[in-house]
Amino acid sequence: MVDFIQNTLDGIALGSAYALLALGFTLIFGVMGRLNIAYGPCIMIGVFAGAGVYSDLTQSIVMIFVATLAGTILASAYVERVSFAAIRADAALASMVSTFAVWMQLEEIVAHLFPARTYAFKELGHLSLIEAGPFFLRQESLFMLLVTLAVLLGLALVLGRSHFGLELRALTDSRRAAIISGINVRRIIFLTFLLAAMIGGVAGFMIAMSDGQVTPKFGLWATMKGLVAMVIGGLASLRGAVLGGMLLGIIEAQAQWYFGASVREILVYAILFAALILLPRGILGGPHTVWRS
Amino acid sequence: MLEIRDLRTSYGKIAALKGVALDIKDGGLTCLLGPNGAGKTTLIWTLAAILKAQSGSIRMDGEELIGAKPHQIVSKGIVTVPENRLVFPEMSVTDNLFAGAFSRRADKIAVAQDLEEVLQRFPRLRERANQDAGTLSGGEQQMLAVARALMARPKILLLDEPSTGLAPIIVEEIFEIIGALRDEGRTIFLVEQNANMALEYADDFYLLEQGLVTFGGKPGDVDHDELIQRAYLGTRKAS
Repeated sequence: MVDFIQNTLDGIALGSAYALLALGFTLIFGVMGRLNIAYGPCIMIGVFAGAGVYSDLTQSIVMIFVATLAGTILASAYVERVSFAAIRADAALASMVSTFAVWMQLEEIVAHLFPARTYAFKELGHLSLIEAGPFFLRQESLFMLLVTLAVLLGLALVLGRSHFGLELRALTDSRRAAIISGINVRRIIFLTFLLAAMIGGVAGFMIAMSDGQVTPKFGLWATMKGLVAMVIGGLASLRGAVLGGMLLGIIEAQAQWYFGASVREILVYAILFAALILLPRGILGGPHTVWRS
Repeated sequence: MLEIRDLRTSYGKIAALKGVALDIKDGGLTCLLGPNGAGKTTLIWTLAAILKAQSGSIRMDGEELIGAKPHQIVSKGIVTVPENRLVFPEMSVTDNLFAGAFSRRADKIAVAQDLEEVLQRFPRLRERANQDAGTLSGGEQQMLAVARALMARPKILLLDEPSTGLAPIIVEEIFEIIGALRDEGRTIFLVEQNANMALEYADDFYLLEQGLVTFGGKPGDVDHDELIQRAYLGTRKAS
């Protein structure tokens, strides 16, 4: 039991990073009804920008963060222009194929600029553990949790209180009604991409910090984790994205502890299959979330 | 005044509007009748710029509107209450109403005033202000769609088949609301299959058949029964 609870604690920390990735996917899927497969690779551009600044320019954590965020935002804006804004709204497959192509492009760019593949990223450092009875929490876990909570709070404020948030929610709820109500759909989509990029940039930054390094595989990793968490939690449901991320993190942590790292991924994807079969709309996906007009 | 001339819209190779011409006069209710598939909804969606017109012109007080984007049309004051309501089902009634005022976000105080006014006009929406719009009845959703459009301070209100799918008693209630809006001097373009009901309230009417306006005038001008028959069934079966 102690093990199980400890694994859950570890899983929640890891899951908070997944939750942020899933939120990015969900925001974009919500306003577009299309998947942005290149979301992970955009974040990879960001963390490599951060790693580049770290190795060549400065140790400043603020500057590395700014570079990570800026890289992610720039790459996302590029994806939005090329793979979404330029492709007709009813050609969802063309958009998805286009994001695959952009993905390859982004990976090649990184391979040219960073030929050594694995680069060091500013480390959070393995600091002391926070203990409470038989349980402990790594400081990096606490850091991830706090950052995630801060992002969630900020996102809730933006969505609930700002005019942009109302427009985003409206567009997610019904594209047709949004057009009829006079929303500038293209503008909101672009802004949503930027919002998702900011969340992804923060997620990428804290994951890279806790790993202490970055590799070009980060893009694939981030896309897979984010997508799986989104599907488990519920398509187009923001609460579902957070729940799905946390669940994925906890399942991974338990699987790693009880079955070992090699079995972990196999088990996680088995759970994804089960989720797709039993709950095709995810845990919190309501009746409206799959319907698009 | 909205002047529509030689308006053509098609779905791929199939022409839906084949040169529609009509006027929507200021401060009155203009009604468009016609059987299923005549192109009534296509006309509304073309006016709202959701469908692209192939050719022709739509002028509001002399200004050409063809080529404008949907949100620009709303900003210019042409606001649609679409068929089957199209509310935001997972947003509260209040948020749905705020959504109607997207085009005038800067004007926060006026938007708040309008919200109060709209809730006074529709007390049932005030009762349900915090409920998700998807949980409202059909009639309430129709009221919400009209209220949402009013939040945009429309110069011209386009109503697409407001009676669709509603019980007769609710239809009467909706038409009373439309009549009240007309009596306030608003400009309304009403597209309706329910010809009997629509002609009671219309100042002018047009008949659309197979993508063309075949008839127009004042409700008193024509033989009522024949018009009704053509509005429901089209010319072929009427003759």
